[in-house]
Amino acid sequence: MDIDMLLDAFLFRGALIAYLLSTLIYIFSLLTRRVSPARAATWILTAAFGLHTLFFLGAWLGKGYNPFLRIHDILSFFAWVMAGVYLSFQLRTKTRVLGAFVSPVVFVLMIVSSISIGGPMVVPEILQGGLVTIHAMLAVIGEALFTVASVAGLVYLIQDGLIKSRKSNKLMKLLPSLQDLDRINHSCLLWGVPLLTLGILAGSIWARTVWGSHWQWDPKQIWTLTVWLIYAVLLHQRLAIGWKGHKMALLSVVAFVLLLAALLVEKSFFTTIHRFY
Amino acid sequence: MNLILIGMNHKTAPVEIRERLSIACNEGFNPLDEIKAIPGVGEALYLSTCNRVEILARTQEHTNAEERIKALIYRHGNLGEEDMARCLYVYRDSDAIRHLFRVAASLDSLIMGEPQILGQVKEAYRLAVDHQASGIILNKLLHRAFRVAKRIRTETGIASHAVSVSYAAVELAKKIFGTLKGKKVLLIGAGEMSELAARHLIKHGGDQIFVANRTHERAIQMAADFQGVPVDFDRLGDSLQEVDIVISSTGATGYILTCDMIAAVLKRRKNRLLFLIDIAVPRDIDPRAGDIDNVYLYNMDNLQDIADDNMQIRRGEAEKGELIVAAEAERYIEWFNTLTVVPTIVSLKEKTAGIIQAELERANGWLRNLGEEDREGVEILANAIVNKILHDPVTCLKEESQEGSALAYVAAIRRLFRLDGLG
Repeated sequence: MDIDMLLDAFLFRGALIAYLLSTLIYIFSLLTRRVSPARAATWILTAAFGLHTLFFLGAWLGKGYNPFLRIHDILSFFAWVMAGVYLSFQLRTKTRVLGAFVSPVVFVLMIVSSISIGGPMVVPEILQGGLVTIHAMLAVIGEALFTVASVAGLVYLIQDGLIKSRKSNKLMKLLPSLQDLDRINHSCLLWGVPLLTLGILAGSIWARTVWGSHWQWDPKQIWTLTVWLIYAVLLHQRLAIGWKGHKMALLSVVAFVLLLAALLVEKSFFTTIHRFY
Repeated sequence: MNLILIGMNHKTAPVEIRERLSIACNEGFNPLDEIKAIPGVGEALYLSTCNRVEILARTQEHTNAEERIKALIYRHGNLGEEDMARCLYVYRDSDAIRHLFRVAASLDSLIMGEPQILGQVKEAYRLAVDHQASGIILNKLLHRAFRVAKRIRTETGIASHAVSVSYAAVELAKKIFGTLKGKKVLLIGAGEMSELAARHLIKHGGDQIFVANRTHERAIQMAADFQGVPVDFDRLGDSLQEVDIVISSTGATGYILTCDMIAAVLKRRKNRLLFLIDIAVPRDIDPRAGDIDNVYLYNMDNLQDIADDNMQIRRGEAEKGELIVAAEAERYIEWFNTLTVVPTIVSLKEKTAGIIQAELERANGWLRNLGEEDREGVEILANAIVNKILHDPVTCLKEESQEGSALAYVAAIRRLFRLDGLG
């Protein structure tokens, strides 16, 4: 079997199927309000993450290609980071059922990634270079961390509402505690902001090298800087003013929805030099 | 089957009568030896808890063992026979099995789903084993009961969902803070309820206790009980800034903690989550405080409602438990039925016939060289040898079954010859 077959057919598709499976079992766990399926789903998610990791390792070591130059690989890397971040939180705190909200996002990203395989999506040769890889990698990790922060925020809002309703509720028993969710939001912002900062800097330096200036007023650049600005402000408020809990969760979710909408608008109505697909 | 279960529980007997029995049994004598001494009792188990007294025995047919067990209960209960008899229930065979399973799985408990009863049943079984009162039937039955209890615990929600007010508070605290480790608790006002809730919180990891009371001496005294810190009643705001959980139960007529006060404190504590439990009537904490972000306010009624709702949930889950009990009881009876003599002899013969057949086929290679007559001769010889070997054990089984004591032999034969499959 040649290495492409092995990578795509076995590892990538295997990961995709395992992500789907874990998503379905997580949803089943939510519907039946039982934690035991979620426990199984976490293991399947771990397996999916393992296959996915092997896929990247295989692509890099076996074929020596750089996954940060192709859009579908970037999406798949985004999914991989989200799964990894969630699983590392799961190791430290009992936030198991948070996976029911992370896993579907991961799966959708993987689906989009697998659909766009085969299209013209490689970064032009002139732009290729070491800094592009660092730029893309850091930016993706930063944005994936913000996504996890926002998913945790969404679950926080649900749980907060359930506790404030002062009624016995099986879903409340299932969802993680407020403090754990808030802590995840905190850690994700704390790591995400500096990483995205470095990613933007790397991109800006590279832009100067290949395009002649640090900043081109490109829609994608503006969008990314907005993302950075919003989450940097949130992190600042969190650390300096002590915005915590409900307000922070709400703002994370609102910011995420607005940014996602802006991204879709940007993709549909604007042309950008930053698009390679 | 000849299983009999005689007992009384919180539903059938008032506490005074249950008490008499368990006290009598605690006075250094064990009823097991006495029960075992009753003619016709083969095996016995004695279970006694605050809510029940039960005797389970395997008796032989045509004996008055049941009457004698009852007589023993009356004697130790030290009460009129009629008064006692009204409190007793008697279950036989499959009903006794189901009852034992229900008891072990806490379906029959006063607080359904409470976990202690399984340990008590295990202890009762250990005593029976120590007194050599448990044999093949009860051993299997009790192990089944433990398995049923475990299944019901894991497969239904009967043991989850807090059904007491203070435990409901602990569960809520866990859903807010994740863990109670390192969490600080402030008690405002002294009272049995608040002390109980505080003890629950400490048991689940709650760290430091602060106590405030209008009479400061009382606060000092209570703080000493909890190894906590007494705080000044007039400076509640300062301690509110530090703590995570507040339990308030003063006799004050107005609000001790107003909405403004809590909003101000929250700012100073940088919006750290605050769980307020108001168990005072009239209330101590302005109910509007519950609308503030990051403040979670529950009063006595809220907690009671949750406990009640959870009890409803447990009752629903108990129905699933009953299904498991019924299915498992059936499986036990199936096993029990294999323990009779005739089916055992039949399966023994089937097994040996199968072996002869298989061996003859294996030997077909050289048997072919013999004439037809000789081949038949070999078959007859093989059958004769096996029948001779089986003759004595089978005769013995039949004799024992006449005397009603074949169980142990049947069980041994089934095991030695693996008549129940490899499992």
